[in-house]
Parts: sequence; C-alpha cells; structure tokens
Amino acid sequence: MMEPAGPMIHFQNVSKEYENLTALHDITFSVGRGEMVFLTGPSGSGKTTLLKLIYLAELPDHGSITISGWDTTTLREASIPFIRRNIGVVFQDFRLLDNRNVFENVSLALRIRGVGEREVKSRVADALKTVNLRHKADSYPRRLSGGEQQRVVIARAIVAEPTVLLADEPTGNLDPDTAEGVLRTFKDIHAKGTTILVATHNRDLYRNSGKRVLRLDAGSLLGGEVC
Amino acid sequence: MTAPYAFKLALQSLRKDKWINLLSMLTIFAGLFIISLSYLVFYNVEAATRNLPEKFSLVVYLEDNLPREKIDDVIASVKTRREVGSVTYISKEEAFRELKATLKNSQYVLEGIDDNPLPDSIEVKLRKEAMGSESVRKLAEAAKKIRGVSEVDYGEKFLSTLHDIKNGMRIVGIILAAILSTGIVFVCYSTVKILFYRRNDEIETFKLLGATKGFIRAPFLIEGAAIGTSGGITSLVALYLLQHLVIFRMAVAVPVFRTLLFPADFFLSLPLIGMFLGISGAAIALGRLKY
Repeated sequence: MMEPAGPMIHFQNVSKEYENLTALHDITFSVGRGEMVFLTGPSGSGKTTLLKLIYLAELPDHGSITISGWDTTTLREASIPFIRRNIGVVFQDFRLLDNRNVFENVSLALRIRGVGEREVKSRVADALKTVNLRHKADSYPRRLSGGEQQRVVIARAIVAEPTVLLADEPTGNLDPDTAEGVLRTFKDIHAKGTTILVATHNRDLYRNSGKRVLRLDAGSLLGGEVC
Repeated sequence: MTAPYAFKLALQSLRKDKWINLLSMLTIFAGLFIISLSYLVFYNVEAATRNLPEKFSLVVYLEDNLPREKIDDVIASVKTRREVGSVTYISKEEAFRELKATLKNSQYVLEGIDDNPLPDSIEVKLRKEAMGSESVRKLAEAAKKIRGVSEVDYGEKFLSTLHDIKNGMRIVGIILAAILSTGIVFVCYSTVKILFYRRNDEIETFKLLGATKGFIRAPFLIEGAAIGTSGGITSLVALYLLQHLVIFRMAVAVPVFRTLLFPADFFLSLPLIGMFLGISGAAIALGRLKY
C-alpha cells in the first residue's frame, strides 16, 4: 500500500478548526522515512489534533496531508483502514478494551489484519517481551498500573510492525525510569527503520536525543530544531 | 478477518449481552410460533377441503317423460365438459325409492302422494381441479342450456362460502405473517442497534486500528443470524411439544384432533426462516448506522 518515494509524512498548509476554534493553522512540515521526530508544545497547542490528522481520525479543513505519498484528503473511505494498518498509534487515552485481557488487546491489531492464530501468538509474545509485560498476558487492563497500561498500548501499536509509529504523550503516566524505558523501546523500534513521531511535553524525553523537535503553540508551528 | 474470529466476537457478545439477546430470541420465537399456528390451521382447512370435489355433485333434473335417447343425449353433452368426473343417471322411480328409504321413519310426510312427483335426474361428480364456485357455476349454466334439462341444483352457496372462507384465511394468514415477519426483522434490527451502541467505544478502537467495515459488521450479522435461528429452533421445539404433549393427549378425548396434520416441511424450515429474518434485521440496522 505504501509508496517508497518522498517523505513519509508531509503536511502542506494544513488548517483545522473545531467550531470556530483554530486547532491548527497553516501547518507545513515533513517527516522523512525512518526519521524519529518529537512534537512538543503546551497542552492545547494542537499536538493530538495533528496526530489525529495523520491516522485519519480527523480530516483537515484546508491543505493536504500525504502519508508515504498517499494524499489522505482525497482517499476513498474504503481505503482508510488499509492506510491505518501501516500506522501504529499509542493513544493518549490508551483505548484498551476492558473486557479483554492484555493478550487479546494486543492481538487485536493482528486479528484485524487477518493474521493466522499461530503467528498471532508468537508476534504478541514478542511485542509483550519488548515492553517487558509477557508475564501480564492474562491480566485485564483494569488490574494494571497506568505505566503497565501504557506499555500494553505500545505493544499493540508495534505488534503489526507498522511503517509509522505515532505516540501521543506516551510517558504521561510514567515515572522517570519507566519513561526512559519507553524511550529506549522507541529507539529500538526506530533502529529497525520505523518512522516515529512522538508528541510530548516531557522535555526530558527529547533533551539531548539528537532528534528533530517540532514546536507547536496555539495551533501554529514555531519551527523545528535538533536537540 | 478470519471467520473464526468473527464467530468468537459474536459469541462473546451473545454471552455478554445475554439478557437483551434472550429477550429478542423469545420475541422471535413468539412471532414464528404464531405464524406456525396460523399456517397449521390453514394447512388443515386446506387438507380437509381438498377431497370435497369427490364428494360434491351437481344434480341435473330432466324434463318429465323425456325419451331414453334424449336422456342419453343429455348425458353425452354433460360428459363432454372437462370439469366432469363421472355421470350417473337416476330414474324418477329410483329417486322415489331412495326417498322412501330415507323417510322410512317419517312415512307420514309421503301420505297422500300417490304419483311419483320426482323427476329423472343425472348426478354429476366433479374433477378435483374443477372445485371452485366459478367453474361449478359455469358448468351449471352450461348444463341448464342443454335441451331436455329442466333445472340444475348445486351447492352454490356452500361452494362460494367455502371459497370465501379459504380466501379470507389465506389473506389474513399472509397479512399476519407479513406483520409478524416485519416485527421479527424490527426486533433484530433494534437488538443489533442497541448492541452496536453498547460497543461503540470498542468499534471506534477497531476502526482506529485499521478494521474494515466488513470486520465490524461480520459479528453483528452472525449475532442476528444466531438470535433468529435460535428463535426458529425454539418455536420448532414448542410445536413438537404442542403436537406430542397437547394434541396427541387431547386426541384421546376429542377424536377430531386425531385428524390434525402437521406440515413438517414448513416447521423444519423455521430455523432457516428465523436465520433469514435475523440476518435481514441485522443487515438493515448496519446499513442505517453511521460508523
């Protein structure tokens, strides 16, 4: 589905409004293939909206967005699921299903893709091993701490080996040590060639990371720098 | 989506929302049971009246003192009609003898009657396919026009009443089945809609993870089919129990129940009918929902 040319993510003059409230204003930026970028800014600056535009939970009011060469503003509705399958998302509100255990939650990303039972088992085990939660496979989300739930979400986002990984405040509920562990996980995934965009207001996460940081404020992009 | 996973999701939902599903299943059972009972009544009336033409006959009365060759001409003319099964000549003497035999305990009725007042007649039996007030009326009119025939007598009123009753029952049955089937589809439609709204968050997560509409729809269609099929199976079981525990026992005391026929083909198709209605309701609901 993904085309191997140009930047992985490209925003061109993108604006988004919610009932006369400007969430994003004239945003233009690109994220290269295999690049890891941090998106930072205060609460309400538009970080989550920007990620939602990438994983097609929202559509822009103006401008165009291309994901691996595909213009998402002109996509047919039936194509959206197939674009989403190439994007792993660590949701800020987790979106874990309380009536399913950790294994079932993580495996959902594979079931949706029609992966066979045997492969589901081995890949979920690998993903849970990556986030160090193999021993919690049978636990239900409500029995887990905030940090553990966050790691389950990360496992679900990476289990299908997406080409793009989006993370919305992935360390928001974590203590510094666990946050560092999550960052290490992202770096490992990035090392395999995955494009990663991490929205965070946790400066420790990107300080001295050597990665590009995009700053948003009140819906406008203030520029990017390497930290 | 792998089909087993769709079944797994449907089973989980059937278990999780068991009370809503059970209620829907019972409503479908009630609807199908009433349709089946109506069909049972209609089927038995139809079966009971199916052989009536063999018992039913027209009586063609002949003019007085008609010579034998003329009588044969009348018989031959009547026989040419395709509705006619058999023709029997009854002479006035024979008819009078039969009348006397019939009235042997009420001989006073015939007191003072010295001459035979009865005419010669022909009894005409109809073919099965000619049963119907319109075709019998046409035959009677045609017979009246034959030279030598004075009068034709047939159970016009009986035939048209029977015809009207059967037609009425058929129309009422079709309307009832249509209303109840619509009701069953609506029950499945509402159930799937409720289940869908209850699982809205889950469905939203599925979508964000890349689920297609087919992936989201499949468990609901399976659920609709399961609810409909179980409603059909329950009504089949209820009809079986009705036959064996009620009708057969009542037949000991009320002999007419012994003649009751059960349309097995129709009853055995109830689970399939239920499944079809269940899937229809679910499909309509999923078609109308925005997701």
